[in-house]
Amino acid sequence: MAELKLSGVRKAYGATTVLHGIDLEVADGEFVVFVGPSGCGKSTLLRSIAGLEEITGGTIAIDGVDATHLPASERGLAMVFQSYALYPHMSVYANMAFALENMGLQRAEIDRRVQRAAGMLRLTDYLDRKPKALSGGQRQRVAIGRAIVRDPKIFLFDEPLSNLDAELRVATRKELAALHGEIGGTMIYVTHDQVEAMTLADRIVVLQGGRIEQVGTPLDLYNRPDNLFVAGFIGSPRMNLLPGRVTEPGKVALGEAGHEVACETGLLASGAAVTLGIRPEHLALAPEGRGLPLAIELVERLGGESYLYGRSAGLPQITLRLDGQSGHERGSTVALAFPQQSLHLFDEAGQSVRI
Amino acid sequence: MAAAETKPRRDGAGGAGSLAAPLALLMRLVDWPMRALQRLIGERRMAYVFILPNLAFFSLFVFLPLLINFVFSVTGGAGLFPSERPFVGAQQYGYLFDCGSFLDPSSCREDHFWRGVANTARFTIFQVTAMVLLSLLTAVVLNMKIRARGFFRAVYFFPVLLSPVVVALTWKWILQRDGLLNAAITSLGGERILFLVDPGWAMFWIVFVSIWAHMGFYTLILLAGLQAIPADLYEAAEMDATPRWRVFWRITLPLLWPNMIVVIVLALIRGVQTFDEVFVLTGGGPGTATLMIVHYIYETAFANQVQNFGLAAAASVVLGVVLFALTLAQLAASRRKGAA
Repeated sequence: MAELKLSGVRKAYGATTVLHGIDLEVADGEFVVFVGPSGCGKSTLLRSIAGLEEITGGTIAIDGVDATHLPASERGLAMVFQSYALYPHMSVYANMAFALENMGLQRAEIDRRVQRAAGMLRLTDYLDRKPKALSGGQRQRVAIGRAIVRDPKIFLFDEPLSNLDAELRVATRKELAALHGEIGGTMIYVTHDQVEAMTLADRIVVLQGGRIEQVGTPLDLYNRPDNLFVAGFIGSPRMNLLPGRVTEPGKVALGEAGHEVACETGLLASGAAVTLGIRPEHLALAPEGRGLPLAIELVERLGGESYLYGRSAGLPQITLRLDGQSGHERGSTVALAFPQQSLHLFDEAGQSVRI
Repeated sequence: MAAAETKPRRDGAGGAGSLAAPLALLMRLVDWPMRALQRLIGERRMAYVFILPNLAFFSLFVFLPLLINFVFSVTGGAGLFPSERPFVGAQQYGYLFDCGSFLDPSSCREDHFWRGVANTARFTIFQVTAMVLLSLLTAVVLNMKIRARGFFRAVYFFPVLLSPVVVALTWKWILQRDGLLNAAITSLGGERILFLVDPGWAMFWIVFVSIWAHMGFYTLILLAGLQAIPADLYEAAEMDATPRWRVFWRITLPLLWPNMIVVIVLALIRGVQTFDEVFVLTGGGPGTATLMIVHYIYETAFANQVQNFGLAAAASVVLGVVLFALTLAQLAASRRKGAA
């Protein structure tokens, strides 16, 4: 296993720059997830690390060795593709053995490694089958097995669960987490699904427009987003982001009625435009007439929890999570309280205001 | 909703728009009788009604000629109409297969037929082998990110658009005794070569010209096959540190195999049927050095002083059986490959 260091990695296609100087270090054995919306450059960054894309600038070092200009075949990395990229005319065994044959290993050693990986991934009964005779989840496991047998320096995963249905995705996600625990390899995983990122990662790298927005543990990103983008991207449903204005130090006014919320405003001057962030699960109900009034437009009851979507004059739609047995109905009005310890404040430039 | 569906489209598709009204009228005209017919014969049998026009066309121009050809092959005499021709059974086939040794055409009653068989076999083996390999090589190169790729793709396909007679005349102009190639050779101090008179050279050039004329078509099929191979398989192979020759051998070739089968079958069929280019280029000569089966059939039926339709028809049936067997064998091979 190995560590990875990216320094000022840039990638441009003609005049279009898709990666703007990425700096990142991944420690040995770490599970790092690149997350971001479509087109943010996460897959390009992964492919650049793999050696499938030539970078325009910067350096890539694997285990301290400059691999910037090494071809993919010499980097010693393994990749699991979004489409699985299994060789359709080969059996599961042949798919997994293919790279080992390229390495010139003895037949007995190849067999030992394939059988071991097949055992780990519960593929032993399917070794003679062709990929077309496997389910999506089984194909995904073969793709992972193909990576495991090589004992690579780093595992790269390019949205490996995106072709699976919701149930299988959850199951495979758990298997991946268990696999990382078992083999302990350095893994870099690309996804646009922040739930996958939160559940799998030791650290998450949030990308937008070819730039890193924030790097941190899942809870770091959840609890202390650096900016509006990360605040809105991490967490499901997304954080409520409400425009307001600082009325005096420690107070922010929201909406047309100028409902005042107590909040740490740091060095912001009175009158400064801000965005107040609070997650749906952190909003609370206030006694009637004392909180921000919210007219309920939609109620989603999931059993264990209910989501209320509503509007308050001059504010975007607000989402509120309540107990699943909550009796609130569409058309009713509730009063919202904003617990101070759960608030996030962002300045006019969208950066987090921290004390 | 119904109003929206019947509202004429005004999306700028002028041609389609102008056709819409007559088409709608036609559909209304056929709607009632088709519904009545469906009530009469049932929904399942309506399928036969729909394939009937094509079946009739196919029967008239394919099945009927096949049948007439077979009738000619079991009848004798010089009459043109089957009613004027006496039944002779397998006599024509007997003449064709009346051989001292099948390896020695001169020992056969119909020695030209067997020379045609030997020449066609030789031509087909060389032409198909060389053409499939060259088409594959060309397709692989044209599938790479090379400069002016579109131009080269067009250039390689261009000869396919030419008439075989035009191709043959063009090459005859190059290869004849006082042709362009000999002019170039003599200008360089060499001696004239009788490309179309020497038996060895004549066979070489008909193979060459045939490949030149048809390679573009097969290259196109293989190129389409190469482009259908997902790029991520090659990326996976690259991550697997696969040498390039092994990528070709273990990934490209197996995945291209269905297209290769199509190319081989089509090239074999065309090779066995070859006639027009050779007829114009060498006329089957020198002597019978480039006489092909179809050329023999043509001469026997139409060009010889005594027109022997029965013998030509029997040779056609034999050729048809060979082609049918070849196709079945190739399809069986492709099915085995697909199931493996």
